[in-house]
Amino acid sequence: MELTVTENLEQELRVEIAGEDHTFMNVLKGALLETEGVAAATYDVNPEQSGGQTEPILTVKTEDGVDPIDALKTAAQRVQEKTDAFRSAFEQAA
Amino acid sequence: MDEDYEVEFVERGDRKALFLVRGVTPAFANGIRRTMIADVPTLAIDEVRVIENSSVMFDEQIALRLGLVPLTTPPAEFDEDDVVTLSIDVAGPATAYSGDLVSADDMVQPADQNVPIIELKDGQRLELEADAVLETGKAHAKHQGGVSVGYRHLQRVEVVGDADEFEESEPNIVRGVVEIDGELVDTAEFDNDLTQKFPGKEVAVHDVEKAFVFHVETDGSMTVEELVNRATDSIESRALELEDAVSL
Amino acid sequence: MSYKCSRCKRDVTLDEYGGVRCPYCGHRVLLKERSTDIKEVDVR
Repeated sequence: MELTVTENLEQELRVEIAGEDHTFMNVLKGALLETEGVAAATYDVNPEQSGGQTEPILTVKTEDGVDPIDALKTAAQRVQEKTDAFRSAFEQAA
Repeated sequence: MDEDYEVEFVERGDRKALFLVRGVTPAFANGIRRTMIADVPTLAIDEVRVIENSSVMFDEQIALRLGLVPLTTPPAEFDEDDVVTLSIDVAGPATAYSGDLVSADDMVQPADQNVPIIELKDGQRLELEADAVLETGKAHAKHQGGVSVGYRHLQRVEVVGDADEFEESEPNIVRGVVEIDGELVDTAEFDNDLTQKFPGKEVAVHDVEKAFVFHVETDGSMTVEELVNRATDSIESRALELEDAVSL
Repeated sequence: MSYKCSRCKRDVTLDEYGGVRCPYCGHRVLLKERSTDIKEVDVR
């Protein structure tokens, strides 16, 4: 996983997450959309006219007063909460 | 928002299992599914040194067949760069099977003993050494641990009344596992046809939100439980990596 | 270069003067033997 920030504004973050695909990006996007203060979150693995760009680019837009980097951090923690919860639920059943 | 997940097994075997997960989002369910298929590494033969091959197949064809043999991959024992050497020496007339592979590591064995490699006639011989490496299904399908992994939305079936008496009856097909009166029922029990389960009744079928029935089959390189756990670990470690990266 | 005669199955060594012919039975079809070198194959 290699991060390259291409746009870092007060309420908008655009970051390339090299080495990932839909598997992780969609989980992350889902978690972002559940995160408080996130107005929009999306990713694109093959943006048009990008000259063969195939690494996913994540875009996060936040509401007033919320740092998109903080939102991304919260979402990453959220994914871990999900995996934790899933693991314990699975182990309980197994 | 607290995560409240619930897992319930419908069918449980080492290599094949069916289980219901409640509370997960479609994005998370799909993430787990895709990880099981493409991101959980397994061992598979990746290089072959042919000492003698007087069989009717080319070395490359034999190598391909050996690569496709599932090898047991115990969790947390191997790293991406580890190499396990196996060898095989069979003289005809006989058939060389995956079970004839002799591994240098007791933990790594062919998951099935009866995969035919090649039939050898009188005077033909196959002797070679092979290196198995750890890779993900993304790199090559021979490294896929989960070979049949998928899920269906759980559907709830309710009887809402009697069917129209003079209506031509048509089959009402559902598949997988459905919920009837709070019980999980395999639709194969009534031939996937709700009109057989509830003759003369009108039924309503609805998706149950955030409930998915997973069907997981492995190639034998690990058990279903190990596969699911390692898929979960894989997503978690990536989320942790991302968290660390943005925390700087 | 080691060959095997396809008719009498005997090992044949070719030199530059004899032409392609089995010195034992005169047969003109010779089969080339596989090298004893170990061959490395990438599994793809």
